[in-house]
Amino acid sequence: MVEGLFYLLLFPGLAFQVTCGLVFEWADRKLLARFQRRVGPRWYQPLADLVKLFSKEDMLPTGASDWAATILPLVSLASVLTAGLYVPIAGFTPFSFEGDLIVILFFMGVPTMAYYLVGMSSVGIYSILGGARSLLQYFSYEVPLLLAFSGPAVLSGSWSVSGILEAQTELGPFFLFQPVGFGLAVVGLIGKLKRDPLDIPKAKSEVVAGSLTEFSGPKLALWHLVMDIQAIIGIFLLINLFFGAPVGAAPWIGALIFGGEVLLMIFILSAASSLFARLRIDQLAGLGWRVLVPAGIIQLLFVILMGV
Amino acid sequence: MTEVDLLTRLKEVAGESVARIEPINRETVYALPVEKWLNVVAVLTGELGIRHLSAITAQQRDASQGEIEVMVHFWQGRGITFVLTLPGDHPEIPSITAIIPGADFYEREAAEMFGINFTGREATPHLLLPDDWDQAPPFTGRITHD
Amino acid sequence: MTKNIIPVGPQHPLLKEPISVNIEVSGEDVLGGSLRIGYVHRGIERLAQERTYVQNVHLIERICGICSHVHTTTYCYAVEALLGIEIPPKAQYIRALMCELERIHSHLLWIGILAKHIGLEMVFMHSWHNREVVLDIMEELSGGRVSHAANLIGGVRFDMDAEHDQMVRRQLRKLEDQLFGVLDAISTDTTIKARTKGVAPITAEQIRQYCVVGPVARASGVDVDMRRDNPLPPYDKLDFNVVTYPDGDAWARTIVRVDETRESLKLCEKILDQMPEGPVTTRARRKVPAGETVIRSEAPRGEVFYYLRSDGSEYPARLKIRTPTLAALSLMPVQLSEIRVADIPVVLAGIDLCIACADR
Repeated sequence: MVEGLFYLLLFPGLAFQVTCGLVFEWADRKLLARFQRRVGPRWYQPLADLVKLFSKEDMLPTGASDWAATILPLVSLASVLTAGLYVPIAGFTPFSFEGDLIVILFFMGVPTMAYYLVGMSSVGIYSILGGARSLLQYFSYEVPLLLAFSGPAVLSGSWSVSGILEAQTELGPFFLFQPVGFGLAVVGLIGKLKRDPLDIPKAKSEVVAGSLTEFSGPKLALWHLVMDIQAIIGIFLLINLFFGAPVGAAPWIGALIFGGEVLLMIFILSAASSLFARLRIDQLAGLGWRVLVPAGIIQLLFVILMGV
Repeated sequence: MTEVDLLTRLKEVAGESVARIEPINRETVYALPVEKWLNVVAVLTGELGIRHLSAITAQQRDASQGEIEVMVHFWQGRGITFVLTLPGDHPEIPSITAIIPGADFYEREAAEMFGINFTGREATPHLLLPDDWDQAPPFTGRITHD
Repeated sequence: MTKNIIPVGPQHPLLKEPISVNIEVSGEDVLGGSLRIGYVHRGIERLAQERTYVQNVHLIERICGICSHVHTTTYCYAVEALLGIEIPPKAQYIRALMCELERIHSHLLWIGILAKHIGLEMVFMHSWHNREVVLDIMEELSGGRVSHAANLIGGVRFDMDAEHDQMVRRQLRKLEDQLFGVLDAISTDTTIKARTKGVAPITAEQIRQYCVVGPVARASGVDVDMRRDNPLPPYDKLDFNVVTYPDGDAWARTIVRVDETRESLKLCEKILDQMPEGPVTTRARRKVPAGETVIRSEAPRGEVFYYLRSDGSEYPARLKIRTPTLAALSLMPVQLSEIRVADIPVVLAGIDLCIACADR
């Protein structure tokens, strides 16, 4: 019982994930700033932003659904935190079971739906446009993402992330065997996280802030937390599926290597943010269905044939 | 087209009242009667190829006399300006936006600042002044110096 | 699909200055837009009639932040034409140098804004970093980064000696080293091309009909540049290229400004090479004799038109200013059809709005 509470609330549960989310936001903002020849924020900036937002007035325009605006971020937060429980941290996970990859992917999809719904339940043209775009974007990146994530599962013969980790200790890191799948997973993750160059639903110059235009105060703080945790859990998942865990090393070495891989992924995501201009939604749809999905299918076929 | 030829052609279109008046700096200036304005613009943009409209300046030379001058400045390798004089109490001039769409903003500004009525346009909404401007056109009337 | 109106302005992340563009959309397709300006109308022309000619130099400078020098230059040339004086050659070259620096500054600012609007913040930060070099030059010369107060009636307010010359050359070299790489990257970047190629093309015929000037016109192949066509001194003695591109889409408008920045950098060097020695001001009488004059010059955004009339008193009788953005704005509703919502920032940025200029 105490052990369960420890896992749920401290590690790898609530406290750990929130901390990781905030650290991710800081690392990302700092890297972006450095790419742009700026200084970047201090380490406590994301936490300070969160505290400040929680202390602000909570208001919504008339006609927006207050109920939806309150429930949806809470549900999203609960979903990503739950998904995080099943993602191994440096090989350690207390809750793994066969099929937990599917559960993780399901829970990671809830914030996307919630983002769409909150846009539709809000008032104002920007919210509606943002919500509609987020759904359009979902259709473009989700299929390649799922195809990419299926590769490791097929190759390892297990739909549990721990099982995939075990397979990688035998065979070696999967990104070597499925580089295309790895690339698709990165692109899909950028789309899922709505980061530049796929931040179309919240393009500041087109739809101001998308679904969250009318949000401020505690509700916005919750959304920021959701997005941060979703990002770091996504990175953890990617690392587990494609990099594996070091074989037979001491736990602290494993943790160090895991941390290094996380930093590498954050670097890749920040670099992608900096280097490309935002795509248009029709360009993304074209890219998704004409390039990414065929590549994903070919990669999956290759994996299936190779595994035989 | 030389200046002499231009003056001859303008006189053909608009009658003898066309006069070339003192040049301003490097600009050649012609005075035209208001009635022939549209004909002149049609010939300018069509046959003579003088299409670039730089600005439309409206002014009152003498506040007491009340006459409003509309100066239309073209550019074609050199500056060409046309001056049309309108009566102060009822300033009316045909609009050239049908021939030169780019004149729209300039006409609207002249209309709201001087109270000039540009005929032949569907509407002349305010360009710079607020929609609920209820005072006299800003440029008419005496100018005070503190 | 239902029609909605996106209200861009008066306050919007896209706009540096307030205008109101109500854009009618249906899904991701833009159907049209209507424009309202005048939010920053300060009545400069009317105010100019209540200030002396010298006071007006300072008033005119405040029409716009980015093109402040070209406005005061044009005004001072107009007053000097009425006074019948010619300023010393060195003053002419200093005025031209500041004009070209301002052009570089304006285009670098614009590239940053365009990049930011299409989600490429890195180019925004880098081009504005380079813009700082230009601002430093202007500050060393005149004391002000953006508002220089460089012009007087009769000349310029500051002189340039050998040390200034060395400083400017050094900074220009530094700028070239840093900047040409950025400009090359922008001209060849695939994502910028993907977002701007083929977007909102304007034909040369439309340019002529709406009397548009500046880089927007040159990007549609209309070869017009007041520095060459109606040169104020010393541009008649300077040799430079006018950049035109035939396509007329947002990509052409980007490349024209990028290339113009390069040309302006070369032109600055030539101005420094040709700058003569001598005084920088000449005596100008307070009382301006009666007369009228028209001066046209080339601001970063196109042809600036000044008409000045004096009736012999202390105050101008009429000052008429026509700024290039005003002409480009009349073309905007035409551009706002047949595009997508995602292209709106590209279109609005492509016009290079300087609303303070347009509203005066």
